Amino acid sequence: MSNRLWAVLGAVALFACSEPATGPAQTDNGNDTTTDATGSVPAGIEVDVSYHTLENGLRVVLSEDHSVPTATVAVYYGVGFRNEPRNRTGFAHLFEHLMFQGSENLPKGDFDALIYGAGGVNNGSTRFDFTNYYEVVPSNALEAILWAEGDRMRSPIIDQEVLENQQGVVENEVLVNVINQPYGGWIWIDLPMLANENWHNAHNFYGELDDLRNANLEDVQAFFDTYYAPNNAVLVVVGDIDSGETLSWIEREFGGIAPSEPPAPLDLSEPRQEEEKFGEIFDRLAPQPALGFGYHMPERGSPEYYAMAVIDQILVQGDDSLLNQRIVNEEGYASSVFGGINLLGNMYNYNGPMLWSVGMIHGDEFTDEEIMTTVDEVIEDLRTNEISQEQLDRAITKLRSQFYSIVDSSSRFGLADLLAVFALFDDDPTRINRIEQGFDQVTPELVLATAQEYLRPTNRSVIRVIPDPDGTLGGDDGSGEE
Amino acid sequence: MLKSSLKLIAAAALVLTAPAAIALQASQRPEIGPAPDFELPDTSTIQLDNGLEVTFIDFGLAPKVNISVQVMAGNVFDGSNTYMADVVAAMMEEGAGGESPASIAQAFASMGGDMNVGVGMHTTNFSANVLSEFGPDAIARIATVIRQPDFPDSEFDRILQNQIRNMTVARSQPGPIATEAYVGLLYGTDHPYGEGMPDVGEMDGFTMEQVREFYAGHFGAGRTRIYIAGRFDHDAMEAAIREAFGDWETGAAVDVPPAAPQSGPVVRLINREDAPQTTIRLGFPVSPIGTDDYYDLTVMNALLGGSFTSRLTRNLRETNGWTYSPGSGITNRLGSSYWTFNADIVTDHTIEAFAEIFSEISNLQIYEPEQDEAEGMRSWLSGIFILQNASTGGLIGQISNRDFFDLPDDYLETYVDNINAVSNADISAAAAEYLPLDQLVLVVVGDLDTIEEGLRAFPQLADAEFITDSE
Repeated sequence: MSNRLWAVLGAVALFACSEPATGPAQTDNGNDTTTDATGSVPAGIEVDVSYHTLENGLRVVLSEDHSVPTATVAVYYGVGFRNEPRNRTGFAHLFEHLMFQGSENLPKGDFDALIYGAGGVNNGSTRFDFTNYYEVVPSNALEAILWAEGDRMRSPIIDQEVLENQQGVVENEVLVNVINQPYGGWIWIDLPMLANENWHNAHNFYGELDDLRNANLEDVQAFFDTYYAPNNAVLVVVGDIDSGETLSWIEREFGGIAPSEPPAPLDLSEPRQEEEKFGEIFDRLAPQPALGFGYHMPERGSPEYYAMAVIDQILVQGDDSLLNQRIVNEEGYASSVFGGINLLGNMYNYNGPMLWSVGMIHGDEFTDEEIMTTVDEVIEDLRTNEISQEQLDRAITKLRSQFYSIVDSSSRFGLADLLAVFALFDDDPTRINRIEQGFDQVTPELVLATAQEYLRPTNRSVIRVIPDPDGTLGGDDGSGEE
Repeated sequence: MLKSSLKLIAAAALVLTAPAAIALQASQRPEIGPAPDFELPDTSTIQLDNGLEVTFIDFGLAPKVNISVQVMAGNVFDGSNTYMADVVAAMMEEGAGGESPASIAQAFASMGGDMNVGVGMHTTNFSANVLSEFGPDAIARIATVIRQPDFPDSEFDRILQNQIRNMTVARSQPGPIATEAYVGLLYGTDHPYGEGMPDVGEMDGFTMEQVREFYAGHFGAGRTRIYIAGRFDHDAMEAAIREAFGDWETGAAVDVPPAAPQSGPVVRLINREDAPQTTIRLGFPVSPIGTDDYYDLTVMNALLGGSFTSRLTRNLRETNGWTYSPGSGITNRLGSSYWTFNADIVTDHTIEAFAEIFSEISNLQIYEPEQDEAEGMRSWLSGIFILQNASTGGLIGQISNRDFFDLPDDYLETYVDNINAVSNADISAAAAEYLPLDQLVLVVVGDLDTIEEGLRAFPQLADAEFITDSE
């Protein structure tokens, strides 16, 4: 499905995109954070969390907040791009589409009709380490939505007709987002393919068109049997709910679904990168060159990881960031610079090797050597000199504010997402209340040490998009270097 | 115990991986009770002596305040210099009150936010979402940016090149190309409503003098509205606004050139050689926002193409798999509105898709929708109204929209009732009145070698003027 509200992604709106022109404008803010008694200063965030595991292994996270009379339901399965079979690139995402095609008690179309008819919205998305399905509904519809999600987990109906239908839809999704666009997949597909060595991290996860076309019902059955089971899932319900009543509904709708044998863990490890890598994409549709680069991140949750989050803020987030100031304001190479940790989500919602990436579309009067020399000046400074306390404080203020914005939205989807991934990856959704501690332990010394190890040029992969209007420079179909 | 309850009802015999697991049967489908009450938050509005209006919206629990300063200085005032408003706004970010852009950016970052400047068709919007305690400081800084831009000549060339680069990239994407041609057909390229993008080379001649002139003519208290939403100290925010904006001159009166969209039948074909998809914009002028018919149009749009469960989405995507993200919507301009269906359709099925689009529109015009379907759409619009108004940003959008189009004070309070008063017959009547296929405006960007002949053969387009150009 993946279509409708919330570009959950930020820079690149894929796998979940493009709301109808009349849909609700989702912005930010609204609720969920708590403050000190005076209400004048943010005293950190304290989210109400209750955590349960059903007998069949389904992990359930509930969080009450009655400020707006809606409820958000999210089901996260522990399967993503990294899990898909080798000859079936793009399959995790295709399967996500198939889960919207009907279930035993809700023939195709009825699931959507139920949610929309109740005044709600729904969507799903596929990421590196999970596939999610979620609904936001007026709270009176919660019980019916839980019933529907239970029906879908228990017994989706997927036949040849809907498989072919969604193969067509997904192929059109790849066409509209990648192949018929300039700069289609360079930084979020091609750069990880270049930087990573392990196939699970380094394949084209939107899918080679041939692999998508070749997918068959046996693949569907095998994937469902392996990954779509209650013991490989997390269910989150947040918002205007009664936790006790909600839990009893969940027990009733999900408690009887049989678990499956847990999937074998994948070896996702990447070797330490020892040499800088370079890649080129010849793009028939791009009118200007683009340049992107990525560094392998420290392990998620480590002190260096939080330090990299600070470095991300200092280098590329916001108008005050060093690369924005230097590249955009001083040198004028580009109209804007973008980047971050996990371009298909945020710094929290992944669980494996990840890149910190930066990208820009730049004027063709500037060479990539010239731009990278400037980038290196900025980055080498961070690897040589400690940042000031003032720089650190400002970065942490930005991180906090950004974290609040993720958690605090009218749809409550950001909150549900964090609770789900912390349950799925760490078996501990209360981590949401300790994130700020992670930032607070970062020091200028730690930032320096982290920059020295992780911003090594030898830990970097650089990718260039070269305009190739006539297709003569080496490109074939303008869609990248697959 | 392995689970294998996935239902595979394909004709082909598949070996299921395990015997059916013992899973409890699903329970009965629960009833959905009455919708919860939802009340819009309290707001209050003041007007300063110089004409500046300020609306305060109390909402939310988070200690943040969302500030939006909206100045009537958008692209509709570009005149013949398309994107001039964008260049002016970008130059306003190049320093103010003698302070450098880096210093201003650092100040906002320290408040937990960025200042964003967005240029729309009608307004240029300066906004910041900061921690509440910094609200008054943020007001003061935004005021400096708006009232005392330094306009450094030294930065002009770079800023202009950025805007040219943005235009160049937009011209390589099928969506912006299609939209530019489409609004040009509706409003004519002499009106800013009909100008999608500057022509190649048009911006080369822009000057700093023009920037200063635009600024002088379009910024002032009488052309500005401020919205403050979130949790904040009213007195402190009001005092900060009076201090920062109280002595701002009123400025020139707002003067938007009148515009009336034109119907077709007209079809513009733009070749994009070997394009794997056809990008389309298909639409009609409709009754403007604020009219009674607009509610009928709103429900009609949701049912026909404006929601995921709409007929066009179900048909083109869920039945046929020819497109990923089709959709329709109504765009509002001062004194006029237009309805548009847009989609990117796989090239080889473009002609079949057009047959389905024409058929869905005709069908709705002739046959009243069934009660279930129509009621579902009314319920959806009523339900998402809560989501649309459940954030500070959403509330600012809704309330400023009401103010901008001069809608009744109780527009938002009566919206849900008005939607629910639209009858099933009204939906079909709106489609019949406002979507006459023999007057359609259509832009098609795609591989004309494959699709042009089939398009020209449609009887619905028999009387249309065809305009063909290569990209």
